[in-house]
Amino acid sequence: MADWAPPAAQPDVPSSPVIDPNAMVAVDNVTKSFGDVVAVSDVTFSVGPGVTALLGPNGAGKSTLFRVMCGLTAPTSGTVRVLGADARNDRAVRGRIGLVPQQDALFDRLSAHRFVEVSAQTHGIVDADSAARRVLDLVDLDADEAKPVGAYSKGMRQRVKLAAALVHEPDLLILDEPLTGLDPVQRNRMIRLFHQLGDDGKCLLVSSHVLDEVARLGSRVLVIAQGRLAATGDYRDLRGLMDDRPHRIRVAADGARALAAALVARDLVNGVSIAVDSLMVDTNDVDRFGRHIAIVAKECGVRLREVEPTDDDLESVFRYLVERR
Amino acid sequence: MSDARILDRGYRRYEGERSGVAGAVRSVAWHTVRSILGLGRKGRHKVFPIIVLVISFVPAVAFLALAILIGDLMQGDLRPQYWEMFGFSFVATLVFVALVAPEAIVRDRRDGMFSLYLSTPLARPSYLFAKVLAVLGTMALIVLGPPMLWLLGYTFQSQGPDGLLNWLGVMGRLLVAGLVICTVYTAVSLGVSSLTDRRAFASIAVVFVMLGASIATNVLVDVANLSQNWRVLDPLGGALEIAPRLFGDRSDESRNVSTWLVVVGNVGWTAFGAGLLVGRYRKLAAV
Amino acid sequence: MSGVVTPVRAIQLSYGIVLRQLITRGRLAALLLVGAVVAAIAIAVGASDNRTDPVETGVRLISDLGFTTLVPIVALVFASAALGDMREDGTLVYLWLRPMDRWPIAVGAWLASITLSLPLTLVPLVVSAVAVDGGSDLVRATVLAGVIGVVAYSALFVLLGLLLKNSIVWGLGYILIWEGIVAAFGSFAAKLAIRGYTRSILTSLTDINLDLGDLSLPVAVIVPLVVAAVALVLAAVRLHAMDVA
Repeated sequence: MADWAPPAAQPDVPSSPVIDPNAMVAVDNVTKSFGDVVAVSDVTFSVGPGVTALLGPNGAGKSTLFRVMCGLTAPTSGTVRVLGADARNDRAVRGRIGLVPQQDALFDRLSAHRFVEVSAQTHGIVDADSAARRVLDLVDLDADEAKPVGAYSKGMRQRVKLAAALVHEPDLLILDEPLTGLDPVQRNRMIRLFHQLGDDGKCLLVSSHVLDEVARLGSRVLVIAQGRLAATGDYRDLRGLMDDRPHRIRVAADGARALAAALVARDLVNGVSIAVDSLMVDTNDVDRFGRHIAIVAKECGVRLREVEPTDDDLESVFRYLVERR
Repeated sequence: MSDARILDRGYRRYEGERSGVAGAVRSVAWHTVRSILGLGRKGRHKVFPIIVLVISFVPAVAFLALAILIGDLMQGDLRPQYWEMFGFSFVATLVFVALVAPEAIVRDRRDGMFSLYLSTPLARPSYLFAKVLAVLGTMALIVLGPPMLWLLGYTFQSQGPDGLLNWLGVMGRLLVAGLVICTVYTAVSLGVSSLTDRRAFASIAVVFVMLGASIATNVLVDVANLSQNWRVLDPLGGALEIAPRLFGDRSDESRNVSTWLVVVGNVGWTAFGAGLLVGRYRKLAAV
Repeated sequence: MSGVVTPVRAIQLSYGIVLRQLITRGRLAALLLVGAVVAAIAIAVGASDNRTDPVETGVRLISDLGFTTLVPIVALVFASAALGDMREDGTLVYLWLRPMDRWPIAVGAWLASITLSLPLTLVPLVVSAVAVDGGSDLVRATVLAGVIGVVAYSALFVLLGLLLKNSIVWGLGYILIWEGIVAAFGSFAAKLAIRGYTRSILTSLTDINLDLGDLSLPVAVIVPLVVAAVALVLAAVRLHAMDVA
């Protein structure tokens, strides 16, 4: 038996959103409407240091939520505290936030160095030139390139935005689809950078609708769908909470048919589909299944080769939370 | 015999009658009229069209009201000539050509609709024809509407032209004058608007070319006392001068300008605008 | 690591960014050409033997060509784009989400648009005033009216750029409809348009009568400046309260 382990006994993150007063970001019952359109509806969560992914399909409200957090738009109701303050009205806290916005527009006539240098200057950094060079090196851009950013490719523009967000060493980084347009090497580099910043005690909120990206960013997610917060926490733990949906497990064994009959007889599975030398089972009680599969196999004289959960990944969690609506 | 029927087989090719280029031109023209008048769009797109309509019709309505109330007193010099009504809606027309008409062609280039139109039976000439038709037709509302209203109003007040032939003559001359004015303004407005993809810059360019040339000409003639012949360089006033000439009269500002020079000036401005428009669209890539 | 950005520094930074964004080849070339045409017309008028009074000629030329079209439209082109373009494409966030006050952004943008509008209007108009042989009074009047006009129009149109999409079109509507029609109704209505004040400055300093330009010099100078100040305050309030990006 390989590649399968029962889920953690108790997740560290509470199963219902609770506001931690010491959190770096605290969103409390926030709703944001634009006329008749409710973009974000009654969202509550708190986030601390490390990397947290905001996951949701297009139009779910991720960007709107980010804008509310940064103070770019006021919530229709509810409160947002970022680093203990309201970013919309507190000048000092705005200096501790770094934002990579979703829109592509930059000051197209400036070079990358000048753009980032201006970002540093507008954050009150004294040696803006050195700071700009440092972060441009971090995102693998040439600080001496004179070409204006208007002539850059999408990936390069994205890295310029990232550099501008990092130049003042913010405590909170809000990154709206930051990996869009980056090639695989650059993506890996950025993801490593995000983890490093998270390990240094910064709070990073990264949004994406690409599951593969989110899975590599880390396991802490906020799932948002149709403007509502669908789930928070470690996505592996979330799978364990999805108790109205059977776990699907692939069991590779000699004598699959006999094993299937035995599992059904012992009421360990809801359903079984049999292939030549494997079976796919659905079970509501994955713990009990896990404790008994080996025993049942032995009783049947069946040799187990592999027991593999097939829907413990982020995609399954996402589909469950988002697509069933 | 079974009564089973399949009611919908999903996507199928259209096998019915096709309206061809004529239908495409009609469709684009109508859609353009709706677009520039703000029909089917949010309220703010209707603001300028409404302002233009109000400004253009207010003088005609005012004079009609006066005709109804004190018509007997408004005779001789107190009563404006029919062709003078074109001059009263001059500002409305200027606002239309500067702020409303550029919408007809600039938006298509910006939104990528131009390329889509060219993937239909429309070619560049037929596309431009549809656009010209739309702008000309809409402008005719503003240019011809007030004089026609006036003519009809006076007629119902028994103060109109005597006799059917006379009446038809006045109507015909107003129609021709209005058509000439609309043609000149449409050509210049669309020609200048074809130079840029941004509606705002198109509007500014139209203002500079049309209003700027008009003011400059007036300065040269009225302030520097140069010959009135310079007025042929005024696209706004030059087109309006056609109206009195058709009625055998001349405006005070252009009393010394010969009729053939007035015609040449208008033909020149029309050719300028049309040349810009055609030349620009010939080179425009449909991407 | 962020430090304090003082208001003066914030104005400086906003000014630099907006100025850089406003300077485009197309805009400058087009507006230079228009100014050149105005100056060329003035030179042609100045060379004409048919003029009666050169001062009156000059005042009417500068009022009609300069203050009816050139000054308001040049100011509109730059001022409405100063913050309006940033609002529409979302780059305003790079000035807004910063540890600095909002009002310096409005002031910096206004100063940037004035920096570009003033030379593009004053130079051709002063050349025109000299070309028509209008005398030093006309030159002085042109400079003062030009500065006051650009300052006031720029502030108004900076505010417009923050308030409305397609602000250039709305600004043109203000120039053509409000200043062209409504303000021409009478002397009271003329007080509600900046053109009435620039005309009054021209008439006050040259003793030439222009229609609807009969305000005293102090009023004609102070009121547009007050309008500019109010517009900038409103722009700062709008920056503070608006949704960004």
